[in-house]
Amino acid sequence: MIQDANFILLIVIVLDLYIVSSSRLDTCVNATALQGAALAFLPFALWWKQASSGEMIGLLLIGAGTFVVKSLLIPFLIFRSIREANVRREVEPSISLHFSLFTAAVFVAGSFWMASIVVFPQSPPASLIVPAAFVGVLVGFLLLVSRQKAITQVVGYLILENGIFIFGQILFKELPFIVELGILLDLLVGVLVMGIAINHISRQFDHIDVNRLDELKG
Amino acid sequence: MDSLLLWIFLLLPVLGSILCLFLRKPKLVLAFTTVGVLAEDLAGGFLIYPVFTGSPLHTADDWLRIDALSGYHILVMLLVFSLSSIFAYRYFGKEIESGDFKESHAARFGSLWFGSLGAMSLVLLSNNLGLMWVGIEATTLITAFLICIHRSQTSLEATWKYVLLCSVGIALAFLGTLLVGAAASSVSIFHGNGLMWTVLYQNASKLNPLTMKIAFVFLLVGYGTKAGLAPLHNWLPDAHSQAPAPVSALFSGFMLNAALYCIMRYIPIVNAAAQFNFAGHLLLLFGVISMLTAAVFILFQHDIKRLLAYSSVEHLGITAIGLGLGGLGIFAALFHIFNHSVCKTTGFLSAGKLDQIYGTHDMRKMKGTIRRAPVWGSGLFLIFLALVGAAPFAIFMSEMLIIKTAVDHNQILILSFFLAAAGIVFVGVLSHALSTAWGEPPYSLVSEKSKIFDILIVFFPLALLLILGIWMPYPFREVLEKASSILGGKG
Repeated sequence: MIQDANFILLIVIVLDLYIVSSSRLDTCVNATALQGAALAFLPFALWWKQASSGEMIGLLLIGAGTFVVKSLLIPFLIFRSIREANVRREVEPSISLHFSLFTAAVFVAGSFWMASIVVFPQSPPASLIVPAAFVGVLVGFLLLVSRQKAITQVVGYLILENGIFIFGQILFKELPFIVELGILLDLLVGVLVMGIAINHISRQFDHIDVNRLDELKG
Repeated sequence: MDSLLLWIFLLLPVLGSILCLFLRKPKLVLAFTTVGVLAEDLAGGFLIYPVFTGSPLHTADDWLRIDALSGYHILVMLLVFSLSSIFAYRYFGKEIESGDFKESHAARFGSLWFGSLGAMSLVLLSNNLGLMWVGIEATTLITAFLICIHRSQTSLEATWKYVLLCSVGIALAFLGTLLVGAAASSVSIFHGNGLMWTVLYQNASKLNPLTMKIAFVFLLVGYGTKAGLAPLHNWLPDAHSQAPAPVSALFSGFMLNAALYCIMRYIPIVNAAAQFNFAGHLLLLFGVISMLTAAVFILFQHDIKRLLAYSSVEHLGITAIGLGLGGLGIFAALFHIFNHSVCKTTGFLSAGKLDQIYGTHDMRKMKGTIRRAPVWGSGLFLIFLALVGAAPFAIFMSEMLIIKTAVDHNQILILSFFLAAAGIVFVGVLSHALSTAWGEPPYSLVSEKSKIFDILIVFFPLALLLILGIWMPYPFREVLEKASSILGGKG
């Protein structure tokens, strides 16, 4: 089971790099959906063997909720905003894709190094869990600051959230599943709100380029 | 009985939020929100009174809990909501006449208004730190579209910045919450309830100090973004200046405090784990940066709502410094929260009304406000005086207490930054206040008739601040002492 968990986490890290290097908006969103689907299986791979029957129900709910929200509903919402905002399908990074990928690769190396020096009070259940979480958070930030379109910022926010989700899996026993479901609901509503905001922005401005949202200052 | 009241308090706003969607007339929605908030006041009053006089109340397997600290924040929240809801009736009433506030606006406003009341109540009532986080994230999402009730390019820009920055910030706060859970999971007492505040609070010294310190950094940065502490405040002036006046009043008056409340809950836990005032040192740093940043921006500000927004950054910084100093400082900080919320709410309401009268919030075009609109103009002038800490208003008292604590604790560096920033703000705000209040109006003006309603909504809060500045009633002091002792402070 732990090997399965590490395999899932490896897929997640590779997808992070793939998203950073891709130049098409659709590919980014699809990869995010795939990452969500992979993450839906992570709780099972980590905890199923040692779960009590009550916890198994919790695991099932979290897994199903994650799958539905992260790999079906959220991508659907993002694709809908892309369609309605009628944006060009390129990513338009403010730094080159090669440089983005290089930075992300440095982040991956740095994450493994950080994971090796940070001492946790309790050793994490799978060896890749901490580095994968760090990679997610850092790559999420990279996308947030280096992409010009509002939609790519949403993708960055999702990658960041996925990184934190991975981290949260260490604490399955501490985090009541009602809280986990609340978090998923918040995430879903968050993307919905961002989607509606993007929609309004594209109607008022005829673009969704966040670098040009600069009227308010001082 | 008491736990039933608690559920009513939590679910009343949800019910109101749904009902608002079915009301057709804008006037009716506004009347309904006012009545709904007053009903919530009643429930809240019965809920917190026994907590203030007796012991904390908890229910639902300890998931929901009210102690003196949350009770005190509920008091401030209800005061801010009541003032702004009553004012909203008059403010949007004017817009209904001019046709800018239609059915769809009203339904959206009423529903989101109740929704944010519900979400903030959840933050204050939850004893589980994960649930508290869910509540804060919910306030961000619910309040986002309150900023752009009136859609324009600038209001959408503000909304986008607000949603994105606060969501990312709060995601980091979640990482911090998880780290607290990680620290708890290695100690056997916490099994299964490692995020319950009461359990963490009682056994805080057993937690791993390093993990708790790292956790607090994430929590402070995360919730600090939402609380508007510099340098994480970038969304704040934009959102405050673009939102309609009652919404700005709510943001400044209570939403920032709700985020600061989340940070407060962690202070005693982190300090007990770290064995020294670790949380305090970080809060002092952020507090000083906030005060200085705000001071510089206030000096060169021309937009009256942005001026008030930066003043909120300053006052949140002052509160953070009070909390950071510890001891009497915590008592002063909690007192300061009340004063600032009351004062700033009224400030935004008056500025909003003047904005409607002049058709702009550029202070260079708003001259002679006292002649043009005697109540709102003089009200805003007094509010400015109170905000810069002029005696005998209550803000003067709470700032004096913080200064006294800084002197007692020999924090000379902090004290000098505090006085320098407060001095710059004093000069900046007063020069703006004088020129708007008494400047030569650009064209001949007919002065606006003042109604009893206007006089009450402006001068009731000011009278409150004046009385608290001169004399603090014993029960109020007792509540403050109870609340600050939770955070390890002395009365």
